[in-house]
Amino acid sequence: MVEALGRKLILVGQEVHDFASLLVSAFWSSLTPPFRLRETLQQLSFVAWESAPVVLLSVSFAAAVTIMEASFHMKIVVQNDSLVPGFAALLILRELGVVVTALLVTSRVGAGYAAEVGSMQITEQVEALKMLGIHPIRYLLVPRLYASILGLMILTVVANMVCIYVAMLVSQWSLGYSSGSFLMAMRAFVGLQDLLFSVIKAGVFGAVIPIYSIFFGLRCRAGAEGVGLATTSAVVATSVTIIILDFILSYIFSFFY
Amino acid sequence: MLRGLRGIVEDIGGGVVFMGQVLSVALFKPCSFRSISEQIVKVTEQSWLTTAVAGFFVGAIMTVQFSLQIQQFGALGYLGGLATSGTIREVGPLLIAFMLSGKVGAFTSAELGTMRVTEQIDAIRCLGANPIQEIILPRWLGIVCSSFFLLAVGLMMSIGGGLLMGMFFSGISMQEYVRHIPTIVTSFSILSGLFKCLVFAMVLASICTYKGYTATGGARGVGRAVVNTAVATMVAIVIADWVTSVFSDVALRIVLGD
Repeated sequence: MVEALGRKLILVGQEVHDFASLLVSAFWSSLTPPFRLRETLQQLSFVAWESAPVVLLSVSFAAAVTIMEASFHMKIVVQNDSLVPGFAALLILRELGVVVTALLVTSRVGAGYAAEVGSMQITEQVEALKMLGIHPIRYLLVPRLYASILGLMILTVVANMVCIYVAMLVSQWSLGYSSGSFLMAMRAFVGLQDLLFSVIKAGVFGAVIPIYSIFFGLRCRAGAEGVGLATTSAVVATSVTIIILDFILSYIFSFFY
Repeated sequence: MLRGLRGIVEDIGGGVVFMGQVLSVALFKPCSFRSISEQIVKVTEQSWLTTAVAGFFVGAIMTVQFSLQIQQFGALGYLGGLATSGTIREVGPLLIAFMLSGKVGAFTSAELGTMRVTEQIDAIRCLGANPIQEIILPRWLGIVCSSFFLLAVGLMMSIGGGLLMGMFFSGISMQEYVRHIPTIVTSFSILSGLFKCLVFAMVLASICTYKGYTATGGARGVGRAVVNTAVATMVAIVIADWVTSVFSDVALRIVLGD
């Protein structure tokens, strides 16, 4: 009983140590040259440009639902829905745009990175890198880290824009606001700091995605099943962490409004 | 661009044909109850913790955001009702289903894809059994049942998370928070939330079994199938969210009769 508990504790301790050392070496090597600019730009294209159609399609549907639901609630509580544009824009800018974008990018980019690094690990390409004197964290993680942070920030701004545009369209068609009155009502509720905070959130989430994916990818063991397991654990861990971090950041930002 | 579009159309068509096969097997050659319940236990055991944590934090986030907005109107008493209603009807099912699709969807399509590329599915067919009846149907039904259950549990957890945040962040008492929940959250809202959960569970189960069953091309193919499953499930869930919202809006109008 005690022995089993101790063994488990040692395993957990080892994992924490592994993760912490990955974080430290990622931090150190992301601040010191050489920076692989070309690789970073390629990854940026993978993160931002190739994810854009999927992300924008999904967030525009999410925005349409949000504005319909907002009008439903407003009609119950205050009997009219004249504040709907403001409320919906606030919800989109503060929560929906950035979280939905980050979760979609997690499932696409995070799963891709974990599978890629996992197959590199089991075909001993990571060992080959080490043998050539190349630090795998610097070589694999740093370009992906920068690309993912930057790409998610860009995607979030574009997604917020598309979201608000779609919300405007829906409110014009089904609720009967002109676009001018939508923008007026929105202006009373949201400010530049909302967009700023959502971009900060996107940067934090963007850092989480490659760190977890590469952590799980480098620990990948034995065969095709190992790669599948690494991918699944990376996506789940990233998604849960994003939700928890979103809560913490919302809490912190709530003191600055 | 055109090739991508063609791929999407092919996927949709293939998926519909595949679901037709599953349905006909379900009607004429049903699988044993035991194999379904095995799948239910497996899926629930794997992912109840993830769903519960996700649900709890989704509720907490919604309460924090709603209280910031409601404070401007001085209507903090409505916080409990509004946050709970918003979570149950819309944000809760969506975000928890995202979590679940990462966990259950990826696992199932990896498992079925590995079976496909290591020719285990062909082996089942060689033995004279129907692979859809033996491995797909129990998984599909098992995932639908357990995902529906897990999403409902996640929604309950979200109410708890919202309540806790209402007490600690917004500083309103428990009674105050709970008081307005029944006035705003009608039974229709709960039904439409549960309906969404059911639809998402079916979307999730269909896409991951289809993508896993049709995986080709070795270990890389399995990896590709897993990533495609995750992306396709999320997009389909968001679209299904919109469709069910419109549907329940129309249903509400018919019920109220205007």
